Amino acid sequence: LDHGFGLPTAAKECLSSVASQDVPTPERPRGIFHTSESDPAKHTEQHEGRHYDIPLEEVKAVFPHGLPYRFQQQIQTFNEARVMVRKPALELFSYLRSSNFAHPAVRYVIYGERGTGKTMILCHVVHYCSRQGWLVLHIPDAHLWVKNCKELLQSTYNKDRLDQPLQASAWLKNFKTSNERFLRELKTQKKYVWGKRECTEEGRPLGEVVDQGLARVRMASDAVGVVLKEIKQQSQRGSFQLLVAVDGVNALWGRTTLRKEDKSPVSPEELTLVHNLRKMVMNNWSGGAIVTTLSQTGSLFKPSSAYLPQELLGKEGFDALDPFVPIPVPNYSPREFESCYGYYLERKWLQHEQARTEDGKAELRFLSGSNPRQLDRLAGPL
Amino acid sequence: LRLISTTTAVQRKNVGASGPEKYTEAFIKKQIEEFNLGKRHLANMMGEDPETFTQEDIDRAIAYLFPSGLFDKKARPIMKHPTEIFPEQRKIQWGEDGRPFHFLFYTGKQSYYSLMHETYEKLLNVLKYQDQLSAQDLPLQKEKRNLAGSRWLTKIELEEMLLEKLSDDDYLRFIQLLQKLMSLPCADIEQKHIQKFSREVPVQMQKVVIEPLQYDERGVAFSTGEGKRKTARATAVVYDNGTGKMTVNGIDILHYFPVLQDREQLLFPFQFLDRIGKHDTVCTVSGGGRSAQAGAIRLASAKALRSFVTEKEVEFMRQAGLLTVDPRVKERKKPGQEGARRKFTWKKR
Repeated sequence: LDHGFGLPTAAKECLSSVASQDVPTPERPRGIFHTSESDPAKHTEQHEGRHYDIPLEEVKAVFPHGLPYRFQQQIQTFNEARVMVRKPALELFSYLRSSNFAHPAVRYVIYGERGTGKTMILCHVVHYCSRQGWLVLHIPDAHLWVKNCKELLQSTYNKDRLDQPLQASAWLKNFKTSNERFLRELKTQKKYVWGKRECTEEGRPLGEVVDQGLARVRMASDAVGVVLKEIKQQSQRGSFQLLVAVDGVNALWGRTTLRKEDKSPVSPEELTLVHNLRKMVMNNWSGGAIVTTLSQTGSLFKPSSAYLPQELLGKEGFDALDPFVPIPVPNYSPREFESCYGYYLERKWLQHEQARTEDGKAELRFLSGSNPRQLDRLAGPL
Repeated sequence: LRLISTTTAVQRKNVGASGPEKYTEAFIKKQIEEFNLGKRHLANMMGEDPETFTQEDIDRAIAYLFPSGLFDKKARPIMKHPTEIFPEQRKIQWGEDGRPFHFLFYTGKQSYYSLMHETYEKLLNVLKYQDQLSAQDLPLQKEKRNLAGSRWLTKIELEEMLLEKLSDDDYLRFIQLLQKLMSLPCADIEQKHIQKFSREVPVQMQKVVIEPLQYDERGVAFSTGEGKRKTARATAVVYDNGTGKMTVNGIDILHYFPVLQDREQLLFPFQFLDRIGKHDTVCTVSGGGRSAQAGAIRLASAKALRSFVTEKEVEFMRQAGLLTVDPRVKERKKPGQEGARRKFTWKKR
């Protein structure tokens, strides 16, 4: 084990347990804060606070659109994807393992202050489920669907609603990359008519619906709706488990910044994508789980100090999501902080000499307040 | 008493060359009488005893009767003894026949040169005494004199003493002579003369009382400090055995000060003393802006930390500027200008 940096007291305790741990891979001696367990299923409390690697091909396959931007930059810089195992994630794993799929889907809401790592935990859960072989419906950020939309078309299916072809087609593309296998296996239950000439017969693989949506961009939102409906119906049969992972779920019940052509504001129900997604998040189906995150960062018209579910969801959203299992995400514990600091040190990200001393560590801890995002931003220029 | 101010005829002729106005003795005497009378009147006005009315009482009374908001203390109304107000001046150095009194008058700097002569005479005395002692084979005295706590007069002080202008060169020569005198082993005999030209250096700042630690119900040691900066006022309570958390007005510093710069200011006292993760702090702050509040809390926590730390470290903190109140305040806007310094746009026509 590499003892290049001073051993903090937290690490001394786990040193005794480290002896029974996996021997680090012989190619590169890693620090105490790394495990070579790359399967999230095997992560236990012993692994808490440590980082594990996700092979880069898996990253492309599982997370075409899910990771936060800064994390993607970090992956590019370090040429590896390292995620920390944290307690809320382990909690979620235990719930998911023990959940009964005959019962209606349980909803989990991950909440916490800004920059505490909610999205990363969601990605950890997504990785776990995809390893387990679940069908993962990952919506990276629901806020993207309620703001900054350039094109709004009136829906052909329902006159009241509005379509968003760009967002829908982007999402369909990413969905295709992440769940290729399922799209070939699952078959449609009904016949869908797209226009005068195109229609999808019964029993065709779902991949065709997705391709139809990608080819005919005007129909993309309806294609999304079809896909969601099909998946919901079929998961109840129990042939596969479905994970609905939504980041920024409070966007579904807030306000939008979009306006119709007559300058009247659009409410979320009038958007096809949001409407269909709301149906997915309802717990009237079984055979899977719904894991959502609240996000203040992208939310509209909410104060920056709001982070509790009550505040961010509003009354409507809270009633819709009730009952749910709340999972709070705190800032880094001392051990997690040591682990993150050790990782930066190991990858030579902290270049300043003073950053490598104990005093520098204490300074970083104070200035960042053990907040992951602040620490990341602070360590950047160093 | 030497002859003073001459006839008005002479005065009229030397109006340009005489320099600052010369005050006659009679004038000064009259001023002193007026001052004393005024002092008694003032004492009566304030309802105090005229006999025991000191200068401090006068100052207080004047500050009460003529309140002034001027920043410069010297610009405010004062009532002091005329000798303090009217500067000492050279009385005229020649007699009625035009013959100067001092033999070195025509050198131009008579007091300076006479001082140099005196000091050199003392030096020669010391050397003679030394020769006498060595001739009698008595040991030369070697007492260590404490030079660390004293300094020589500055040039300005010397000018005030001699009442004439000196050049830097002259001043240097005088100091060198004094130092030479001091360096001789038997200079003790001339100590009286030397002491006229040396001053004590105040060793430390005024003794600020450092409060002892207080203990609260749980038995944890804590101490309070107050600080201010611009318009912000802050109080900080620093507890021992902590984890380095800080709370401001009930809110965590990460939320109260989103800007890194403010948090660095708060970190500074603890980092200086290497006690980052050891103390918990609870602060209250009001007034000012973001930066001012951060500076105020910094001062308050530094003052509170004094109780936890040795005297030497307190001195280090003082030298680092952690315990000084920042005197900068917003400068007043002046009429005819747009701001405190900015003038209106200058248009040629």
